[in-house]
Amino acid sequence: MTVFYERFERHAHAQGLKAHSTHYCPGCGHGLVQKYMAEAIEELGIQDRTVAVSPVGCAVFMYYYFDTGNTQAAHGRAPAVAVGHKVANPDSIVISYQGDGDLASIGMAEIMHAAQMGLPITVIFVNNANYAMTGGQMAPTTLMDQKTATSPDGRKPFMGQPMKVAELMTQLDGPVYVERVALYDSKQRNRAKKAIKRAIELQMQGIGFTMVEVLSECPVQLKLDPIQAQDWVKEKMVPVFPLGLKKEPAPGQAYPALPKPEFHADRLLGEVGANAERVAAHAQGFPAHLDPDDVSLKFAGAGGDGAQTAAMLVTRAGLNEGFDSTHIPSYGPESRGGTSYADVHVAKDEVLSPASPDPHILVAFNAPSLAKFGPSVRKGGVAIYDSTVVEAPPVLDPSVRVVGVPMSQIAISMGARVVKNVVALGALHAATDIFPRETFVAALEHMLHGKQDYMAMNVDAFDRGAAAVRALHAES
Amino acid sequence: MPATARPVRAKPFLVPEYCKGCGRCIDACPKHLIELDDHVNPESGLIPVHIHDEDCNACGLCITACPEPFGLHGADVLYDWEHAAMEHGELAVEARAERPWPTPQDIPAVRLPLPPTEPLMVKGTYASAIGALLAGCRHFFGYPITPSTEGAELMAKILPHLDGVFIQAVSEVATVNHMYGCGGAGLPCMTFTSSPGFSLMLEGISYMIGAEVPGVFVEISRGGPGLGNIGPEQADIKLCCRGLGHGNTHAVVLAPADPQEMLDLTMLAFELTFKYRSPVVVLGDGYLGQVTGKVQLPDHMIQPGLPHWAVYGDREHRRNLITSIYLQEADLEQWNVHLNAKYAAMTADEQRADLFRCDDAEVLFVAANTPARMVKGAIQALRAEGIKAGLFRPITLWPFPIDKLTPLLPQVQKLVVVEASPGQLEDELRLALSHAGVDHPPIAHVRRFGGVLPQAPEIMAAARGAVEVQ
Repeated sequence: MTVFYERFERHAHAQGLKAHSTHYCPGCGHGLVQKYMAEAIEELGIQDRTVAVSPVGCAVFMYYYFDTGNTQAAHGRAPAVAVGHKVANPDSIVISYQGDGDLASIGMAEIMHAAQMGLPITVIFVNNANYAMTGGQMAPTTLMDQKTATSPDGRKPFMGQPMKVAELMTQLDGPVYVERVALYDSKQRNRAKKAIKRAIELQMQGIGFTMVEVLSECPVQLKLDPIQAQDWVKEKMVPVFPLGLKKEPAPGQAYPALPKPEFHADRLLGEVGANAERVAAHAQGFPAHLDPDDVSLKFAGAGGDGAQTAAMLVTRAGLNEGFDSTHIPSYGPESRGGTSYADVHVAKDEVLSPASPDPHILVAFNAPSLAKFGPSVRKGGVAIYDSTVVEAPPVLDPSVRVVGVPMSQIAISMGARVVKNVVALGALHAATDIFPRETFVAALEHMLHGKQDYMAMNVDAFDRGAAAVRALHAES
Repeated sequence: MPATARPVRAKPFLVPEYCKGCGRCIDACPKHLIELDDHVNPESGLIPVHIHDEDCNACGLCITACPEPFGLHGADVLYDWEHAAMEHGELAVEARAERPWPTPQDIPAVRLPLPPTEPLMVKGTYASAIGALLAGCRHFFGYPITPSTEGAELMAKILPHLDGVFIQAVSEVATVNHMYGCGGAGLPCMTFTSSPGFSLMLEGISYMIGAEVPGVFVEISRGGPGLGNIGPEQADIKLCCRGLGHGNTHAVVLAPADPQEMLDLTMLAFELTFKYRSPVVVLGDGYLGQVTGKVQLPDHMIQPGLPHWAVYGDREHRRNLITSIYLQEADLEQWNVHLNAKYAAMTADEQRADLFRCDDAEVLFVAANTPARMVKGAIQALRAEGIKAGLFRPITLWPFPIDKLTPLLPQVQKLVVVEASPGQLEDELRLALSHAGVDHPPIAHVRRFGGVLPQAPEIMAAARGAVEVQ
């Protein structure tokens, strides 16, 4: 058994020498790194469960050679792809292989966050100080004053300075093992081989995220022969990118086990709150006195007034009665603390448009809401407002019935300002007879499921709101 | 056998054709026994090394220095068949035939029955998330963006309780690539996003289509261009139907109109994404994401299987590959022919539309998503006025359900496209009519945008009024 294919069928259909030769240039470091990877995979006995992620760059064709699971990622995204594979099958051994443009430039966000997530995956990072495949342009790892196709006079400060990835990784909490190695002589090659094996082994053991940075020769783009390129790495690169072990796992360190899903109907139904409990209906029929087919409401106030909850209770009440109903919220741009209003429809058969641009019923919790939406209430409709906070209601169409109820005052008198919106529902019930009292009580029970302590107070608030409207009727 | 499989305590051996003459081994040999040969190898066109192994002590350093899998290796490696295969390629094929790799089998998905339940009251994004859970999705990747966020929030809450995985990615770019990995491993996965986020995902979607990776994108589109606003708009129809990243791309685009369809079509999306091994987009609008309504659960849920092509990370699937690169032009052309055949199959089999009062319609509205609900309201009122109006609601925006529309056209005097976009749905309609080569009545339209939805009065006016023809 070997981790390299016996024939490289994917390499130009294995024509001629391509069946057994890599596409790498003479003296390129990629071949060595991949050989050490293959040896590690073989020695660790993980060929079957390895997924190798090929990057964009010279190593894009890594999948020509490795007889393992293979996937080819977009430029810079290999660590994100690797995370996807690892969570899909926590038993797989996932190796993301990347060059310096891929990892340290376009893919910086992906590598940093994959590293900090700390999942047990292994990143092999090949740093050859240039973009080799595209023709030797400047890379984030290009040395100062190094001449490349896009730094023809040498890299200057405004082009940025060499990105020291191993050191960056070492600063993060996620990675458990970071080492920088090189390939320029036998001693370094042996260290590289050991580091790659150790990085993969730590993944196997479930310890965490591991990365090996390999300083690698690119003789063609450096315009050096392979041996000169080895010297260049040793003399020029190593002072900028110091070799050595940068980070090791703490004793006993381990990554939490990743879950594997199971599929049970009862668990799922429980999680989404679905059951066969039917809430009894109480209404005699659709509130056709408000509209023959579709009653529209608007609840408006400031964030925290409870407009959305009140709207949801009416929607729930409509559904419990066997009608169709919808709710659509709208918050101010700041989302919390600003304006908050909700459109509700209750339809005999089907809600067509869920918006309420001209509601039958408006419930306004403050003066701006009443001023803004009061004029939109359709002829013959009802506008209910909190008379505690609205001192001078605007003049609306004479056909609109305007009902002021001291919602805040009633709620405060109960010692529970938060039930103001339930007071409003009591007022809504008494002023419009949209649903019977029992319908609202059932909806409250449904929404307060398991919170019986609150139930009595909410029903009390509802009744006080209704009583306030009846008192108004008695006065007039 | 490649050199990696062998111990290094044997003297080095080299088939010169496989040597690129880099000279790393020359530098590595402590006894200086290796030098470049004095002639070019006629097969490789390169100058290989020559080893003077009389004084070699088999230290192995030259082998460790050789970057080629079939380069320097221990002389104890039996190389005969390998060498022969070089000259007679069929021998290698025979060698493989003796050890055939078993073709992985599809593990089919299982339908698990669900007991009857009362309808839920949930908002559109929640309904979609529940649909995904019912479809067997246990892997969610996403980045928060209004107005799609609540779907992700529900997944974040529920998935850990179902031994699933919720990952908040560093960006939408990372999101789609997490999906590329998870979907490439053969598992159902999804994201919720909205217009600007979807733009960022397009690169990855192109890769997913090219590499045939399934995944479901629920796009709750908002007002644009740019940061726009968080109001409901349909101005991503063009993006979803015509612009899924670079290259020859298409995906089934489903357009729900209410929370029930958010659930139903999300479930369908998971079915289709595996059926075609291609991403599927559920395209909603901001209104639809937020609207709460009645949702009935189906009578079953799905326990996903594992497709034969998955790169799952086990022995059975070891020989699989997920990639979108085809270096040779003929190969890539062939791959596009394959993709085109898939697009043709989607076009033939997946057209879906909802017809509302179309039987006798003389004014036929065309609308999708929330605007279709506005149109339904207007139709009731128009019918009361004696105008025979109906609604043709595409449920698949791509493929456009032209086959469902064509039979209705003979009686139609006017088509009215109602949309919350500057004509992107109408463009799809016109393209479909043009490709179908059918005569059609004049096309009028109601277009609102910027987060404003078409309302009943203007919809009714368009039906009554003089026909506008562009």
